[in-house]
Amino acid sequence: MGEGPPILTVRLSKTYGKTVHALVGLDLRVEPGEVFGYLGPNGAGKSTTIRLLLGLIRPSGGTATLFGLDSWRQAVEAHRRVGYLPGDLRLSDRLTGEEQLESLARLRGGVDERLRAALCVRLGVVLDRPIRQLSKGNRQKLGIVQAFMHRPALVVLDEPTSGLDPLLQSEVRALIRETASDGRSVFLSSHSLDEVQHVADRVGIIRSGSLADVDSVESLRERSLRPVTITFADAADPEPFAAVAGVRVVGVDGAILRLAAPEPAMDALVKAAAARTVVDFVSQPADLEEIFLELYREPDGGD
Amino acid sequence: MIGYVALVTAIFPSIHGSPEFKQLAENYPEVLKSFFGIGAGGDITTGAGYIDIELFSLMLPLLVLVMAVGSGARAFAGEEDAGRLELVVAYPVRRRDAVLAKGAAVAAEVLAVSAVAGLALLVLDPIAGLDLRAGRLLGAIVSLAVLGLLFGWLALAVGAAFGSRALAIGLPAALGAGGYLVNGLHGLAAWLDPFRLLSPFWLVGSSPLQSGVDGLGLVAVLALGLVVLGAGSLLVERRDLETP
Repeated sequence: MGEGPPILTVRLSKTYGKTVHALVGLDLRVEPGEVFGYLGPNGAGKSTTIRLLLGLIRPSGGTATLFGLDSWRQAVEAHRRVGYLPGDLRLSDRLTGEEQLESLARLRGGVDERLRAALCVRLGVVLDRPIRQLSKGNRQKLGIVQAFMHRPALVVLDEPTSGLDPLLQSEVRALIRETASDGRSVFLSSHSLDEVQHVADRVGIIRSGSLADVDSVESLRERSLRPVTITFADAADPEPFAAVAGVRVVGVDGAILRLAAPEPAMDALVKAAAARTVVDFVSQPADLEEIFLELYREPDGGD
Repeated sequence: MIGYVALVTAIFPSIHGSPEFKQLAENYPEVLKSFFGIGAGGDITTGAGYIDIELFSLMLPLLVLVMAVGSGARAFAGEEDAGRLELVVAYPVRRRDAVLAKGAAVAAEVLAVSAVAGLALLVLDPIAGLDLRAGRLLGAIVSLAVLGLLFGWLALAVGAAFGSRALAIGLPAALGAGGYLVNGLHGLAAWLDPFRLLSPFWLVGSSPLQSGVDGLGLVAVLALGLVVLGAGSLLVERRDLETP
């Protein structure tokens, strides 16, 4: 697919002033055909990373290359092969959707009209109204079309499904998966594990400007703790649950038992609960904070 | 702007050739006369003198400069503030080329506004009996446009180089006001006189309809504008793009 991997960063750092370390020594490699999820809470350095990758800001240290092209010095060459959806998308309010896409296509020196039209149909893009009249979701669709319309070898998406309804979210996920099965790569940044876990092959977790972990989605899910709440008919007894491997008892409140449990422990949990009369059993998706806590508990847990 | 030009022109017939009005104008304080070019060869009771004083000495440059600086500041720093550059700069376009393209857009606006002022005067001339010379009018409009280009491009370049819309408006506004004051006052204060060479208003010539414009000055101001634009387009390559 070219001279170097779609994304390669070596000790990439960004410091604002002398004291604000927005990103510290990031080492990252994204392979062709891979969907890489980039996960972290807001303000962790996700956008800084993306802005460095796209040459919008200059690294304070280290390097970022896209297909072997330096993302700051060879930005224009690199951009030919990249599609980008900003996290905070701003379009030209006065243009219609059609005009906006047309003007962006011209900046690329023309794109495949049929692919563009097909994307618009697929996402149900509103083309004939001025952008200022469009809802956030409809603007976001335009942003997604322009990121994919030139069939880029690398697509960088910052929170792509924000503002989209669930049906479209899954359409966008399908689009991402198709891109990867085409041998192209997707860098998908998000603060929500949910947005990432169904499409990403690997996930990198960033916190306070440094990469905490890179792992496959499966193993991350296996390791991450889900909040589980079991309500019994009478007073809860945490004893049998604490014995299950990987499970942590968060609290007991009368008949209500709160646990944090990894996915592989679910079966044992359900069976242990079944020994008593269960009123309710709620298992929630693992949230990021739980994953972080877990990462810090076993600092050498990743590979 | 057309309205203002028409209003000013409509008053001219009542002033035309009136010795009382000439007397009145010559009794103005020296500072005002110096600013508006009354006295020193300028005669408010002729068409050329009247339009020079009423339009080209302040109002038209002011209108064109305000428009040009606004347009220049909006073109890059304004777009950046609004977060609209984030996407475009991630396209395969050199930043300097983006700045130069914006420079062309600012130039088109300045030229259009200047041309409208010129056409308005051309149409009103026979109606109000201004009796302007077409060549002089063209020169006056060109000098107006060149001043607009300089300050519009300065606003664009400052915005591109520093990413601050406030600075992109403030710096050209301050330099414009300074240049205007120097041009208006240099004849009254000897210590200011050498600084007239730094004033673009002085360089292009301040009574364009009566005395004509300074061709060399026009070229110099235009060249300065191009240098400023070029500098801005190079500096933008070196800095971080601001997050909205």
